[in-house]
Amino acid sequence: MDLGNLMASDPTHHFESVPSSRFELTRACLEKGTELVQAIANAVFALPSTDDPDGPIVRLPPPTTTLPREKHLPKPKPPTKWELFAKMKGINKHKKDKRVFDEQTGTWKRRHGYDRVNDDKDIPIIEAKLSDEPGEDPFSKRKAEKKQRVEKQEKNRLQNLKQAAKAGALPSHVQLAATALPITGTLGEAPKKASKEELQNVAGMAATATASGGKFDKKLPGEKLAKHAGKYRKFLPVVEGKGMSSQEKQQTAKILDQLMSKSCHGMLDVNKAVTMFNVKKEKQRKKEKEHKTSSAASKLKPKKKSLKKSSKKKH
Amino acid sequence: MRPLDEKETAAVFEKLFKFTGPNLKVMVERPAVEGPAGDDPGRYCLRLHKNRVYYASESLVRRATNVARDRLVSLGTCLGKFTKGGSFRLTVQSLDLLAAHARRKVWLKPTAEMSFLYGNPVLKSGLARITEGVSPGDGVVVFSMSDLPLGFGVAARSTQDCRKAHADAIVVNRQADAGEYLRNEDDL
Repeated sequence: MDLGNLMASDPTHHFESVPSSRFELTRACLEKGTELVQAIANAVFALPSTDDPDGPIVRLPPPTTTLPREKHLPKPKPPTKWELFAKMKGINKHKKDKRVFDEQTGTWKRRHGYDRVNDDKDIPIIEAKLSDEPGEDPFSKRKAEKKQRVEKQEKNRLQNLKQAAKAGALPSHVQLAATALPITGTLGEAPKKASKEELQNVAGMAATATASGGKFDKKLPGEKLAKHAGKYRKFLPVVEGKGMSSQEKQQTAKILDQLMSKSCHGMLDVNKAVTMFNVKKEKQRKKEKEHKTSSAASKLKPKKKSLKKSSKKKH
Repeated sequence: MRPLDEKETAAVFEKLFKFTGPNLKVMVERPAVEGPAGDDPGRYCLRLHKNRVYYASESLVRRATNVARDRLVSLGTCLGKFTKGGSFRLTVQSLDLLAAHARRKVWLKPTAEMSFLYGNPVLKSGLARITEGVSPGDGVVVFSMSDLPLGFGVAARSTQDCRKAHADAIVVNRQADAGEYLRNEDDL
C-alpha cells in the first residue's frame, strides 16, 4: 500500500487455476482490483481529515514508492577549448577573492565590473616606452586592445556553445540570437528555412529600394515585379458611359434603402397615434352612453329637448 | 470631381434625412431640370470636388468634365462640405433644396427675422408658427411669414414644450442662415 501515490498492490496473490476464457480472466482481475481499491478507500477515510464545505479534506502522506524519471538525464556538456587546454597543462581552477587591494588608490576594490582594480580610467599617466610610436595615443590604444580581447572572448564563447549544441547538450531554451544560428536542444533539428513568401517579400523590398522604385532596374530572367500589398482607392467613374451599368444609381439606392429601413419606425408618430386612438375611444363611449339613455329612459329625452328649446326661445 | 464613395454618401444622406425625412427619396430620384434643352438631363447626382459636395444633373456633370480640376470652381448646387475630420456639414447654399423638401418647418415673426439673419438662434418670442410633431434634435427649416426660407437649424424643444416655454427660451439652434451670404462671403 502506497497512500502517497494512491496505489495498492497484492504481491502474494496468484490465481489458483488460470481461467480458460478471456472473459473469466477479466472478471477475476476486476474482482481483485475492486478489493484493492476498497482497501485504498478504507485507508484514506481512516486518515485524519479537516472539514470543508465541499466535504472532508485529507492530507496524503509522502509517497513511499519511488517512480522512475520521465526524461533521460541531461548529457554532460563537452569541455570547452580552455578546459581541454587546462587539463593538458595541468592547470587547476582555484577560487579568487572578490575584493582585491588596489595599490594605485590604496583601497579595497572589486576584482571585476564597475569601479574595479586596475581600471584604465584610474590611470592618469602611462610611462613612455622605447617601442612606442610617436603620434599614437596610448590611452586609446589600451582601450582598443581591451575591446579586441572582449570580442575574441565572445567569439570563443559562441564557438563553445555551438560545439555543445552539436553534442546535444544544450537545453532548448538556450538560443544563440547573436549568431543567427538557431541552436536547439535536439540534434536532428536543422535551422528553419525561409519560406517562399518570405523570400519573395525580401526580394520585392530590395528590388523597389532604388531611386526609381525599381522601374529601370535590369530584371533577371523569370523575375517578377513585386506585388503591391496595399489597397488602391477605387472610385466610380465621374461620368458613366452609355454601355455601362449604373453603378452609382445602385449604390445610392442601396444606401437610401438602408437609411429608410433604419428609420421606418420614425414614420409612425406615436404621440399622434395615441391621441387619435384616445379620441376615437371617447367618441365610441359617448355614442354607447347616448344609446343606453335613449333605450332605458325614452321618456326623459323629449322632456330634455323641450327644455332646451324653451330655453333657446327665452333667449 | 468624383462620385462619393459609400461611406461619404451615407454621411450626406443621414444629414439630409434629418431635414427632409422620407422626402429624401424624392430629392434623389427626381428627374433633373438643369441642362440645355433637347438634351436628356438624366437624374441628379452627388459629386465631391475640393471637399465640397455638389448636387447636379448628370448632363451638367458631363459638361463639367471639360473643365480642368484646378480651374473648376463650382457646379450645380453646393450642399455642404466634408470637414478635415471627415464629418459632413450642410451649408447655406443647400437652403432652397432643403426648404422644398423639408418635413419640419418654423415660421418667424417679422420682428425676429433680422435677429435670425444676423446669426442668432430662434427664441420663443420670435416664433410665429411651428409644424406639429417636432422633437428636440430634429432638423428644422426656418421661414419668414411670407414663406421665404431664411435658414435652417436644429430644434431645441419639441412642439409641445414650445407652448409652455419662456419667451427667452431657445427653440431652434441656428446652423446656417441667409445672412451668411454677406457675412462669410469669402468662405462660401
